[in-house]
Amino acid sequence: MNFKRYFTRVLHRLQKGPGYTYKELLVWYCDNTNTHGPKRIIKEGPKKKVIWFFLTLLFASLVFWQWGILIDTYLSYSVSSSLSIGFKTMKFPAVTVCNASPYKYSKVRHLLKELDALTEAALERILQSKHGNAISAPPLNSSETVSQRLDLKLWNQIPLVLIDESDPDYPVIIDLFETDQSGSGTQPAVKVCSLPDPTCIYWNFTSAAQAVTEWYILQSTSILSQVPLQERMKMGYQPEDMILACLFGAEPCSYRNFTQIYHPDHGNCYIFNWGMDEEALISSNPGAEFGLKLILDISQQDYIPYLTSTAGARLMLHEQKSFPFLKDQGIYAMSGTETSIGVLVDELERMGYPYSDCTMNGSDVPVKNLYNEYNTSYSIQACLRSCFQAQMFENCGCGHYLFPLPEGVNYCNSEDDPDWAYCYSSLRSSIRHRQFCIDSCKETCNDTQYKMTISMADWPSEASEVKHRAYRARIESELILVSDRNGIIKLNIYFQEYNYRTISESAATTIVWLLSSLGGQFGFWMGGSVLCLIEFGEIIIDFLWITIIKIISWCKGLKQKRARAHWWRLTPILGFNMRTPTSPPEMKFLPLEHSHQSQAPHPPTTTHCVLTHCLSVTRTAMQRPVKKHRRLRCAWPPDPCHSLCTMLCSLGKLQGIKRPQR
Amino acid sequence: MAPGKTIKAKIKKTLPVTGPQAPTVSELMHWYCMNTNTHGCRRIVVSRGRLRRFIWILLTLSAVGLILWQCAELVMSYYTASVSVTVQFQKLPFPAVTICNINPYKYSAMKEHLSELDKETKNALETLYGFSEGKSKVRRDADDWNSTESKFLERIPLLKFKDLYKKTATEIPSGNKRKIETNVFHQGSSMVNTGDPQDVVGFQLVSSVPTSDCAVYTFSSGVNAIQEWYKLHYMNIMAQIPLETKVNMGYSAEDLLLTCFFDGISCDARNFTPFHHPLYGNCYTFNSGENGKVLTTSTGGSEYGLQVVLYVEEADYNPFLVTSTGAKIIVHDQHEYPFIEDIGTEIETATATSIGMHFTRSHKLSKPYSDCTETGTDIPVANLYNKSYSLQICLHSCFQRAMVDTCGCAQYAQPLPPGAEYCNYKKYPNWMYCYYKLHEKFVKEQLGCQQICKEACSFNEWTLTTSLAQWPSSVSEVSSHQGLLSLSLPRTDLANLVVFYKDLNERFISENPANNIVILLSNFGGQLGLWMSCSVVCVIEIIEVFFIDSFFIVTRRRWQKAKRWWNDRKAAPTQEPPQGNAPAREGHDNLACTDEDLPTFNTALGLPVPHENHMLRTPPPNYNTLQLDAAFTDPLPDTLEGRSH
Repeated sequence: MNFKRYFTRVLHRLQKGPGYTYKELLVWYCDNTNTHGPKRIIKEGPKKKVIWFFLTLLFASLVFWQWGILIDTYLSYSVSSSLSIGFKTMKFPAVTVCNASPYKYSKVRHLLKELDALTEAALERILQSKHGNAISAPPLNSSETVSQRLDLKLWNQIPLVLIDESDPDYPVIIDLFETDQSGSGTQPAVKVCSLPDPTCIYWNFTSAAQAVTEWYILQSTSILSQVPLQERMKMGYQPEDMILACLFGAEPCSYRNFTQIYHPDHGNCYIFNWGMDEEALISSNPGAEFGLKLILDISQQDYIPYLTSTAGARLMLHEQKSFPFLKDQGIYAMSGTETSIGVLVDELERMGYPYSDCTMNGSDVPVKNLYNEYNTSYSIQACLRSCFQAQMFENCGCGHYLFPLPEGVNYCNSEDDPDWAYCYSSLRSSIRHRQFCIDSCKETCNDTQYKMTISMADWPSEASEVKHRAYRARIESELILVSDRNGIIKLNIYFQEYNYRTISESAATTIVWLLSSLGGQFGFWMGGSVLCLIEFGEIIIDFLWITIIKIISWCKGLKQKRARAHWWRLTPILGFNMRTPTSPPEMKFLPLEHSHQSQAPHPPTTTHCVLTHCLSVTRTAMQRPVKKHRRLRCAWPPDPCHSLCTMLCSLGKLQGIKRPQR
Repeated sequence: MAPGKTIKAKIKKTLPVTGPQAPTVSELMHWYCMNTNTHGCRRIVVSRGRLRRFIWILLTLSAVGLILWQCAELVMSYYTASVSVTVQFQKLPFPAVTICNINPYKYSAMKEHLSELDKETKNALETLYGFSEGKSKVRRDADDWNSTESKFLERIPLLKFKDLYKKTATEIPSGNKRKIETNVFHQGSSMVNTGDPQDVVGFQLVSSVPTSDCAVYTFSSGVNAIQEWYKLHYMNIMAQIPLETKVNMGYSAEDLLLTCFFDGISCDARNFTPFHHPLYGNCYTFNSGENGKVLTTSTGGSEYGLQVVLYVEEADYNPFLVTSTGAKIIVHDQHEYPFIEDIGTEIETATATSIGMHFTRSHKLSKPYSDCTETGTDIPVANLYNKSYSLQICLHSCFQRAMVDTCGCAQYAQPLPPGAEYCNYKKYPNWMYCYYKLHEKFVKEQLGCQQICKEACSFNEWTLTTSLAQWPSSVSEVSSHQGLLSLSLPRTDLANLVVFYKDLNERFISENPANNIVILLSNFGGQLGLWMSCSVVCVIEIIEVFFIDSFFIVTRRRWQKAKRWWNDRKAAPTQEPPQGNAPAREGHDNLACTDEDLPTFNTALGLPVPHENHMLRTPPPNYNTLQLDAAFTDPLPDTLEGRSH
């Protein structure tokens, strides 16, 4: 029903016509709009009118240009940062402590016996070849004894070689145990081969000691990776041995407050305040008295002689529920010292997409996080390592010992995968693979760094009683001698006076900002508002309306023209004779009535013009009574008359020509 | 009456077309208020009642005031910058790492140059402290120390003061008493204080050239004084030795670096670029980017950083110049000059030093946002270092220039400006006095260097977290073997250093302009629109009405007045005075009179005001009576003027 009513209304409107012209509409708009410029165009004198017209145009274009800039600024999603510094009660960071040596030598000695013997021999050989011209025993003999004494199975998998580069084009490669000469220009290298088709790469070093260390790490890694995890954990340092005393604030704590994890690099590590099972501890006061105090025993005597040359504790501060990546972010604490660490929490809170390309929880990163097994949150390091492990599995078929395993994959060892070392070292030096991982991992939006101010002092002091007796937190809490000064470490970790520095991002351009800026621009140049835009839209609708109506009436006129021509051709004189035979001006309405079109005044169309004008022209030209039908026939269809008439009409002379009077 | 009429006619004719919108200022104002686009003004005119109108005037004025204030604030805060921090995770360029031995030159090679100086220093120490060999090792017992020839002490006498205020001093080591009349500069250090605080040691610098002016520099500790004194002489001697010899006397890369490992790949001395530092001798820069290639790191962690074992030959240290053992390193940008002496980190021997880095890039906006320089080309100080600009470089260059200007020669620790040479007292006998004076001025900011030099706008910064561990561990087999390998080096001569990226997050702190012209204009628009619904169109209107139109009206009026006055003056001799006086006083009279001469709003708009009636309604005699009254009662300026005619 509504539709019908609406359409009839539209029809009526169409029949009625717009009631005004383009010009009237424009003038009306300029006079009544709330925008500031147009009114002036109408009101001022002719010269000012032009000036104002151009001014208005200029301002309008300025407004649009600057709107463009503003919208562009908005779509760039820029952020503004705010910085706040101060002290507040905060969660105390999780503290991971490890020993620099992953295992107790006494527990792993039986596994590494052969390897150690080999290493010993290799070092001796290098020593001889280096400056052994005078002192070395006959090399052949020694190599024989070496081969006799040693099980060369391990050696043959990854041998140490010497590369003689005295002739740079043809380097001579000598197995360390087969050499009989002591070259001065030789370089130690580790030979790593892929097995099925023996292509080898040489990993050369400047210093023999370095070569031996790296070689030892490779070998021991593959040996130890065959030991099940539980056993390995037993080989490491136990919490009750390592953590002698612990004090958080005023409350005593013990090794039971630490969570044990197995870290591939450092063996057993102990995390304080990880927040996995219980609420994270908070610290609400700055200063060493309110922080964590630890006394650690690293028992340096039990270090694996070839594996780690650095003695101390490795520690790291990190967020709760995040995995400690000690190799990247850990620091050392020196034995025989008291290390004080003042902490400042440096937080960066960023907004996610589209403001910056970061991830909130890692769910949108295409790399499967292998550290999920520790129940830890996403971090970029975890992502990179997971990515590397995935690549390792893809290329070598086994997982690297340092990283967690994906499902159904085993760690690499020399027995099952003889060429894993080759595969690993080629993968490790491949820039393409690294770049792939960098590209696929995203950083987290909330980045927390612990800025540390580290200071050290000798501890225990010379005069101190503890110097020769370190605390051992036994159940009876009796003091017994455990180790000398070189084995114990005191740690103080506490918040600084200002314990946080937070940089947080907020959107620099919000929709409110955009609207107010748009409004400001429009207002500044033209004093306009949204209502003005609506006014303008209204005018455009009116314009369209007028145009539509004009087009429709023009079409109608065209139709009439055709219809009339048709009608005249069919019934040339009949109608005139019947109705008003002596009134030529009325003729024009005849077809209209005939077509039931409307009662509305017909607009002056071209047909009309032509008709009237031609009538007059013919009348004046002939100046004598002629037969009506003949006159009409002359006036209406013939071409020369028609074209002349249209020309005259278009010249606007229509008004000047009077209708022929009776 | 003739000119007034013609003007009126003219105005009437031209009013809607070219001239101002109204004939008089007040009517112009009225017209403006009625027709302006600004809100508020119309209220003033339209409101009825004095109170209401007054309130509207007040409101409009306060709105104008607010607009002016706010817009001024906006303009003032135009040049503010907002800071943005972005974190990027990417492959990072590894910084250049410069490593120096703390001791600049091998003492065994330096001995021939320094033997005499050392002898005297020894003597001085002996007299001062009364011990001969002290903690010195076996290395410098060769020469006889008893030679009494002391040219260094003659040049700069070392003095011991019993009491600073008595101004008497004992010469060291001769023991002669001497009276001091000159100014005494006390370097208040009490680190190694010997005896009572009164007992101070210093040295005297004599300037011989202008007048024999003396300055005595005293130190609370004798060790400090002798060290300073030694340094002065040392610089003198070094300034005379050519660079090549100095390079040969220093440590070679092979000497210093035992092993090197970067990004899991072995490297050696060839990867280090030598660089000669005046105070630290031969230094070596890793990844200096010399051949245009800068190494990058794509994995964080200690394994992938730079790992070196350094050999510092402690036995060959200069006993008087340096008191600490170890190496000094600095992490810097490839384009930066390593100011080892200012911002280096010291590396202890027999320890593993692990240095974790965080990379921060900062960029500040230059003028007019802040006072910094992009390239340093706008600083009137020539950059003596062939590295990119930094504040430090500027200050050093500035001081060196001042040094050359004042003392005639260049200071040893900084590079040579073109055409200058290093100071030594063979050629410039009183440069030390000059240097001390100048340096004091420099520190007190009297040289103007601190004012000229500006900070650089962008800089890269590596935040270092240093931690130490014992190395080699007591059971470590490799290191003991390593010791054997490298000619049985003692533990205390070795230092292990690891420099690595903690993570590959790069923080980029940049300043951006908080405002641009678009935002400023839109803020203007917001203010104008909020208080008065005004826009630029209104501003143009205001200019049009208040300046152009008002100016027209006022000048026309002036012109009219002047013309009338001229006419009157011409007519005065011929015509009688009253008639001439009448039009001159029209402003003083009622409106009806003025209407005759000046076209009003009504007349201009052609409102039905019968002109003829006015003419008739104002009979000339009124003026005379008024004039007479006024002349007797109240001597207004107008009337006075009128009477003078």
